[in-house]
Amino acid sequence: MSGPALWSVVGVVIQVLLVVLGAPLLVALMRQVRARLEGRAGAGLGQPWRDLRKQLRKEPIAPDGSTVVFTAAPVVALSSALLIVAAIPLITTTSPLDDVADLYAVVSLLLVGSVAMALAGIDTGSAFGGMGSSRTITVAALAEPTLLVAGFALSVRVGSSNLGSLVEHAQRAPSVVLSPATLLAAAALWIVVVAEAGRLPVDNPATHLELTMIHEATTLEYAGRDLALVELGSAIRLTILLGLWGNLFLPWGVATTVTPGALALGVLVMVVKVAVLGAALGASEVFMAKWRLFRVPELLAGSFLFGVLAVSSSFFLA
Amino acid sequence: MSPGARGHHLRVAWVEWSMSLLGLALLVVAFAAALSVASVGLPSGVRARTSGALTCLIGLAGVAAGASALLGDSLSVAAPGLLPLSSAVLSVDPLAGFFMFVVGGVAIAAGVYSVGYAHPDEDAHDGATLPTGVSSRTVHAALPLFAAAMVMVPAAGNVTTFLVLWEVMALLSLLLVLAEHRARPEVGGAGVWYAAMTHAGLVAILLGLVALATAAGTESFAGMREAGPGLPSGVRTVVFLLVFAGFGSKAGLVPLHVWLPRAHPEAPSYVSALMSAAMVNLGLYGVLRVGFDLLGGGPRWWWVLVLAVGALSALYGVLQASVATDLKRLLAYSTTENLGLIFVGVGAAGMFAADGDSTLAGLLMAAALLHTANHAAFKTVLFLGAGSVLRSTGLRDLDKMGGLARRMPVTTALFGVGALAASGLPPGNGFVSEWLLLQGLIHSLSGEVEPDVVVAIAMPLAVGAVALTAGLGVVTFVKAFGIGFLARPRSPEAMAASEAPGTLRAGMVLAAVGCAVLAVAPLLLVRSLDRVLLTMSPIGQESPVHGAVMLELSGISGSMSPVLIAVSLAGGAALLALVVGRLGRRQPRRTALVWGCGGTRLSPRMEYTATSYAEPLTRVFDDVLRPEHDVDITHHVESRYLVESVRFRQRVPDRVEARLYPPLVAGVNWWASVARRLQNGSTHRYLAYGLIGLLLVLIVLGVTS
Amino acid sequence: MSTALYTQLLYLVCGGLLLTSVLTLWRRELSALIRLLTAQGVLLAALAALLGTQDGGLELFAVAFGVLLLKAGVLPVVLRRVLVDSGAARETQPLVNVPSSLLAAALLTLLAYAVSRPLVDLDPTPTTHAVPVGIAMVLLGFFVLVTRRRALSQVIGFLLLDNGIAATAFLVTAGVPVIVELAVSMDLLLVVLVLQVLTARLRAAFGDTDIDELRELRD
Repeated sequence: MSGPALWSVVGVVIQVLLVVLGAPLLVALMRQVRARLEGRAGAGLGQPWRDLRKQLRKEPIAPDGSTVVFTAAPVVALSSALLIVAAIPLITTTSPLDDVADLYAVVSLLLVGSVAMALAGIDTGSAFGGMGSSRTITVAALAEPTLLVAGFALSVRVGSSNLGSLVEHAQRAPSVVLSPATLLAAAALWIVVVAEAGRLPVDNPATHLELTMIHEATTLEYAGRDLALVELGSAIRLTILLGLWGNLFLPWGVATTVTPGALALGVLVMVVKVAVLGAALGASEVFMAKWRLFRVPELLAGSFLFGVLAVSSSFFLA
Repeated sequence: MSPGARGHHLRVAWVEWSMSLLGLALLVVAFAAALSVASVGLPSGVRARTSGALTCLIGLAGVAAGASALLGDSLSVAAPGLLPLSSAVLSVDPLAGFFMFVVGGVAIAAGVYSVGYAHPDEDAHDGATLPTGVSSRTVHAALPLFAAAMVMVPAAGNVTTFLVLWEVMALLSLLLVLAEHRARPEVGGAGVWYAAMTHAGLVAILLGLVALATAAGTESFAGMREAGPGLPSGVRTVVFLLVFAGFGSKAGLVPLHVWLPRAHPEAPSYVSALMSAAMVNLGLYGVLRVGFDLLGGGPRWWWVLVLAVGALSALYGVLQASVATDLKRLLAYSTTENLGLIFVGVGAAGMFAADGDSTLAGLLMAAALLHTANHAAFKTVLFLGAGSVLRSTGLRDLDKMGGLARRMPVTTALFGVGALAASGLPPGNGFVSEWLLLQGLIHSLSGEVEPDVVVAIAMPLAVGAVALTAGLGVVTFVKAFGIGFLARPRSPEAMAASEAPGTLRAGMVLAAVGCAVLAVAPLLLVRSLDRVLLTMSPIGQESPVHGAVMLELSGISGSMSPVLIAVSLAGGAALLALVVGRLGRRQPRRTALVWGCGGTRLSPRMEYTATSYAEPLTRVFDDVLRPEHDVDITHHVESRYLVESVRFRQRVPDRVEARLYPPLVAGVNWWASVARRLQNGSTHRYLAYGLIGLLLVLIVLGVTS
Repeated sequence: MSTALYTQLLYLVCGGLLLTSVLTLWRRELSALIRLLTAQGVLLAALAALLGTQDGGLELFAVAFGVLLLKAGVLPVVLRRVLVDSGAARETQPLVNVPSSLLAAALLTLLAYAVSRPLVDLDPTPTTHAVPVGIAMVLLGFFVLVTRRRALSQVIGFLLLDNGIAATAFLVTAGVPVIVELAVSMDLLLVVLVLQVLTARLRAAFGDTDIDELRELRD
């Protein structure tokens, strides 16, 4: 294999490993920031990994009457998340799977993960599973227009919806980042990130009241290694969303060439960006309460409006 | 009149028929149609197999004819004297060939399926309703004839042939819709709605085509094509609007879609598959043939109108589908949704062709045509699956289904394939065509031609509409698949389900194989669409899509690989399963009672139903849907303070139908009551009307000539 | 056959056709009307045969034979059976009395001549000069259909109408495509057979076959 090709494969492998190993750490960081702000000591940065290790040793249970969908859903969700990680520009834009990293393809793959968990929720045969499934899928469906319209706004100037091209273009022309179109798209996409990752004010990941759960309710019946896969999957999803947002709107530091130096810089910058964004998100959650489920569509409609404004301003003000 | 000319009208002149594959296939279709009429006399057991086999044969011939036309073969035959007042002309070009291909494919699967459906199954459960009326001679004879008429409609080469074949197709489909009218009273009402709307559509098409033929001076398509661009723009506009209304009604576009959700649930399932996956495509064919081919494209506002109607249909259809609890009604509304998406592509293609941007127009048209083929494949699977469920349990209501995955595993798996494709997710085939459509829309503002205000406003709204449709489509099919097939059965009929017999499974498998092929190798079809695009003069160039493993767009930057995504997903999932299995081999999975937050034992009746699953959406879109609620509270005999049972019913009526059609029907009734004054019961007066009319015409003729 | 002889015979036959149509308006007995119809059928077959000698084609002779069989053979037999079933022997007072009917017949014939002038001018041969006769037969048949009370007389008017159309077709185009002739003949037969059943039922239900009685059934 030639040099650049080899290094691009190495870059992808590093990207995947970094995300897989670092996603639970991101979750821990967010929990730690929340804990400190709330005056607690917190469980420490290693707790999610300890939880995963414990769950892998426990006995998985499948509810009576469920089918293969229940047991296969965590695997499908995690594999779709890993495929996204391998394709999108987190550390480097030169992934060999980069041509697959079209915006709509990535959005659809995220949706595949949500659908797998929604089907598993129905398959449990419990009312809470159905409830969580129904709410998750409604939020995902209402977030999709914003994702695509904001992506449209970003891609107008570049002439392509490939994520790698979007990041590279933003790197080359820094003034683009401060244009009204990009700022509006950033606001719209931030709301969608919060909704898709299941954070406050859309969903509370730390709640124990079943009637207020959206995502958590679909995973109530999981135990053992199934639950480990589910939790790892949602952590990776969160990392993907934050990383993508960071790279689209703060693109500096992403490696566009395949030299080891650029890769190392890319790793460092990504870790810093995602950590900062995660900490900010965690901190903001302290000051917010969860909204009623039927106010969430208003939020998503507002984000859709931002997206449409972004498109029109990218055209009219370009 | 010279003496030699007399008597020649008694002979029919046939043009030399070249024995190409195309010609041979058309002959096979005609022959099979004739055989199906003759099969009326066969005994019942043989009749079902004959009818299914003939339908399958017609489907194969259609596929062969379509494939050879797509690969460059063409045919033009005229038979003067065959039809009164005119000659019968058949002409097959790549556009016709594409639609014959799609229709033929659906007919193969439906034909195979119909063999086993009509046979009463010996070990069907007592609670299941056996299909009555489907074994009648009429239905068995009409099915292959219907398939033959559908295959031949795209091959018509002049107005008379087209209208005759169209009307034959409509009448036969009406016969098939009414197949089970003895078993259920609603079938009659559905038949009336369908008949009225299809004939209103026929009148519109007739007026439009006749106006075009009059203005062009000839009724053959070839002649109209030459004269088309030279006609005055007022005539062209009137023709286009009439034709769009008529063909749009057949395609199920809002607000002329109301027959779809009424007729499809009442027809036998393989008939619904044929109607929904094949017949509605002929509405699209009509718009493409007249709008793009005969009229040679048009001013931009035509296509903006098409785009708007398409987007509206897509949104309304998917919204109604997402709250529907009748499985076949859900699938019928999903047809409206998909046809809406296709018309969004067609409208946008027309817009860009009118502006001169042929690359984008070619891309959007290729996306629309590919979505037609994809929709035909997955809608067939879904309707055939719903038919298997109906046949096995007697249920159409999702609220009563459930738990079918263990009892009907093959049907569940195949329905799952169809649902994945219909929801537009990778690795399904719906994803590929929706991706192409979005690429076309997204690149509109950064194309080679400077976009103007109309495009700048229409495109983001179109993208938003397509995205919302895609999202709601996911909800719809997660609901249909999850509530219908997973978890535990919600009623005794669902508990008594059994797997469908062999031919039904074979039919579903055929359609599912079509889905799979289109999912991983869409280029097989997209390459042959180039010829179709070349025949459409406003576009006139090949589509910018190529690449085998990776779909690449030339002239526009964009790429995606459905094969890579499918392979990576499958490979990644397998790898993960292996790794995790190794890690956890000391802890085998145990089955236990569902935890349900530690409450009392949950009964299957406590599971989420389809109505409850769609409830958040119903609330969000309350203004559009206006659901009706019925709450019945039964109190205890002894005390009004204690409640014995509560009954809740929710109904989501079709709001377009409820607002738009009653005034129309009232108007027609008023007009009829006025006309009734002419009808006083005396036969002599009626005959006198005729005589006076004839005399008036003769006098006028005599005076004016 | 020489042209002069042909023309003579042609005008003779056409005159006979017109005469039988007018006589239908004059006579009141239903059995007489059936006899007139039979005569018309024979004359129509003769017309077709005449045109066949001129043309030299075998088809017209076959058509002539078919017309003879159907219009001069089968139909009158069926009609007589209907007559026996219905029991009435005469047409009672028609809606338009006989003198006025004859006047109307004259006016309709004049109209037929006026209307068919352009047709004749297209191709002035002896055959086409006889076209007005065919059109006059159509109008007269229609008139009978409109103004007669009994169901049977109305069917006779309908059959007259069809005879007129057939005559016009023979004269203008030297024949009708066999398929069309076949189809029309099937229709005719069907109509008459239906009438047979209907008349029997009418008589059983109302004791009479006066069509105007049906007015009571109006909604």
